[in-house]
Amino acid sequence: MQFVKTSALVAGLGAMAFVWSLWNDVPERVPFASVFEAPENYQFEPPVAGSYRLNRIKAAPNGTVLDIHGQAHELSDLMKGKYTLVSFVYLNCGDVNGCPLAMSTLFEIHDTSLDLPGLPKHVQLMTISFDPKRDTVEAIESFAYPILADEKAEQKLDWHVLTTAGQTDLKPIIDGFGQAIDQSSDQDVINHLLRMYLVDRDGEIRNVYGLGFLDPRLLMTDIETLLMAEKSL
Amino acid sequence: MNRREFGTLSAAAAMALFAPFRAFADETCQSPYMPKITGHEEFVYIWTLGVEGMGDEQDKLVTIDLRPGSATRGQVINSLSVGGRNEAHHGGFSADRRYFWTGGLDTNRIFIFDIHTDPAKPTLHKTIETFVKDSGGVVGPHTFFALPGSMMITGLSNDRDHGGRTALVEYNDDGEYISTYWMPTKEDMQGAVAVGDAVADGYGYDIRALIRKNVMLTSSFTGWSNYMMDFGKMLQDPEAMKRFGNTIVQWDLHTRQPRKVFNVPGAPLEIRFPWGSDANYAFSTTALTSQLWLIYEDEGGEWQAKSVADIGNPSDIPLPVDISIAADDQTLWINSFMDGKTRLFDVSDPHNPSQIYEKVIDRQVNMVSQSWDGKRVYFSSSLLANWDKKGSDDAQYVRAYNWDGRELVEDFNIDFYELKLGRAHIMRFGSSELYA
Repeated sequence: MQFVKTSALVAGLGAMAFVWSLWNDVPERVPFASVFEAPENYQFEPPVAGSYRLNRIKAAPNGTVLDIHGQAHELSDLMKGKYTLVSFVYLNCGDVNGCPLAMSTLFEIHDTSLDLPGLPKHVQLMTISFDPKRDTVEAIESFAYPILADEKAEQKLDWHVLTTAGQTDLKPIIDGFGQAIDQSSDQDVINHLLRMYLVDRDGEIRNVYGLGFLDPRLLMTDIETLLMAEKSL
Repeated sequence: MNRREFGTLSAAAAMALFAPFRAFADETCQSPYMPKITGHEEFVYIWTLGVEGMGDEQDKLVTIDLRPGSATRGQVINSLSVGGRNEAHHGGFSADRRYFWTGGLDTNRIFIFDIHTDPAKPTLHKTIETFVKDSGGVVGPHTFFALPGSMMITGLSNDRDHGGRTALVEYNDDGEYISTYWMPTKEDMQGAVAVGDAVADGYGYDIRALIRKNVMLTSSFTGWSNYMMDFGKMLQDPEAMKRFGNTIVQWDLHTRQPRKVFNVPGAPLEIRFPWGSDANYAFSTTALTSQLWLIYEDEGGEWQAKSVADIGNPSDIPLPVDISIAADDQTLWINSFMDGKTRLFDVSDPHNPSQIYEKVIDRQVNMVSQSWDGKRVYFSSSLLANWDKKGSDDAQYVRAYNWDGRELVEDFNIDFYELKLGRAHIMRFGSSELYA
C-alpha cells in the first residue's frame, strides 16, 4: 500500500513537472548564440547570457500599421506580450549595408529558430516599411509569401510584415523609434541609418542595434538575457 | 532562406539599383555609428567659452563657413549664445548626426543643438539641467560618444568630493537618462582585472570604441577641484598634482562592463581608434608624462597597453592635448598646449611611431580636426578657462591650414577675442549634404 502511494506520488510529481514544462514551453537550455554560425565580420564572442542587464531605453511608439491583408492594427497590440525585433526597411533598398543586411539577419534568425523550440512563444520579428507609397499591401504580401509559404513556418518565429497607409501614419512611428530617414533627390532612394530595435513584452525598447552589431548571436543573447531575467528560462 | 542566400539576392539588387548609404567620411574622430561627410566640409561648429567682460560674456556655438567659393568662406556666419558661462568644453553628434550635444564642465548643463534643419544656422533644441541628479552625482560631462539610440557621456568628477572619481552616463536620443556606469576602483573592480601595476583610480575623460571587437576604452584626467582651479596655482599644489588619473580602462562595449585596467601614468587624455578593417589598436597621449601610448590586441587576442614614443621633450612638459588620426591610419597629429606646437607622427607601424614634422601654431593650442582626405587641418586654442595662458599669451582662435604632405600652410585665421566671441574649444564639421 505504501509502495502504491509512493509510486503514485512520484508519478504525480513527474506529471506535474511534464505539464509545467509544457506550459512554460521551456526550450532545451543551450545558449541561443550557439545555434548560429559566427559571422565573418564580428570578431568577438557574444557575452554570456544573463551576465549583464539591458536598460530600458524608452517606450516604443504606437501607431497604425497595415498587415499583408490590408488589415489595420495598433502597433502596440502587435508587440504586446512578446519580445519583438523591429526593423524598418523598404523593399527597393539596394544598399547592401542597409535593408538587405537587416533582412538577411532576420531571415537567419527566422530559419534558425527551428533549433530553439519553444522560442516562438516568446519572440517575434517585425519589419515595417518606411516607403508606404511603393510598399503597398500588395507589395508586402508578395514579399511575405516565401516566409508564410515555408512548410515549417508554424514552427518558426512569427514575422509581421507591415506597412502603413501613408506618411501621416508612418511619421510618428519612425520618429518615436528614432529611425532617421532622408528622402534623397533621387525619388527611388531613401537614405537611412540601419537600425534594429529590441522591444520587450511591455513595449519598452531594450536595445538598439546599428551597423556592426547585427550579429544574430548578439541579438539572441540579449533576448535570452531578458528571458532569464523574467525567469522564463 | 538563410543569410547567405539573402546576401546574394541583395548583391544582385544592389547592382540593379545601387543606392549607397551615406557612409562617407569626414573628420576622423567621430563615433563610427554615424553618417559621415564626403568631399568638402561646409561648416565647422565651435563650442566656445564666454569670457567675463567680453561681448555677451556667454558660452556659445559659433558657426564658420567653409564652403569653397562662398562669399563668407573663412568667416563666422552664426553665433548662438546659451546663457551663462558653463565651462563649455567638448561635444559630439548624435548617431544620426542631426543633433550636436555639448557640455559645461562647471554647471553640468548639456546643450543639444539642432544642426540638421539649417546646418548654417544651428538652433538650441534642448537643455538638460539635471545631469548630476540623473546620474547619481556625476559631474563634468566631457565626451559625447554616439551609440545607436543613445549617447554615452563621460564624466570627469563627482559631487561628493569634486575629485576625479567619476562615471559614464548614458542618455537616450530624446535626452532622457538611461543609466550610470561608475568607473572601476581598487575597492570595486566590478569584475575587471588590473594589469601589472595598475591601480584602478576611478577617473574618467575620453571614450572611444572599436565595434567589431566589442571594445570600448576610457581614459583618465582629473576632477572639478583641479580643472576649475587656476593652472599656476594648481602646479604649485603638491596635493592637487597627485590627483590625476593614471589609467585606461577596457570595457565590453555591448554589456557596458569593465574588463581590464591598464597602468598609463600621467593623465592619458584623448583616445583614437584607426579605421582599417584589421587595425586592432588605439592611441592615447599622456598630458603630464608626454608619452604616446598604444593600446592593442596581442597575438593571443588580449588587449595590452604600452608607451611607444616621447612627444617632444617630456622633461619640458609640453602637455600633449588633442590628437587626430588620419583616415588612412598612417599619421597622427598631436598638439601640445604649453609650447603651442603640433607634431605629426608616422604611425604606419603603430608599435614604432616616429615624428616627421612639427610646427608652432601659436602661443597655445589645444584642439585639432582634419578633413577625411587630410588636406585641411584646423586648430583651436582653449584648454580650460582657468588653465589658458594669461595676458598676451592668451591667443584665442580658429585657424585653418592646408596640408600638402610636407608643410602646413595657413588658409585663414579667426581671432575669437577680436570678434568678442570668447575661448574657442571643440570643433565639429557640418554639411547640408547629410540631410535631404
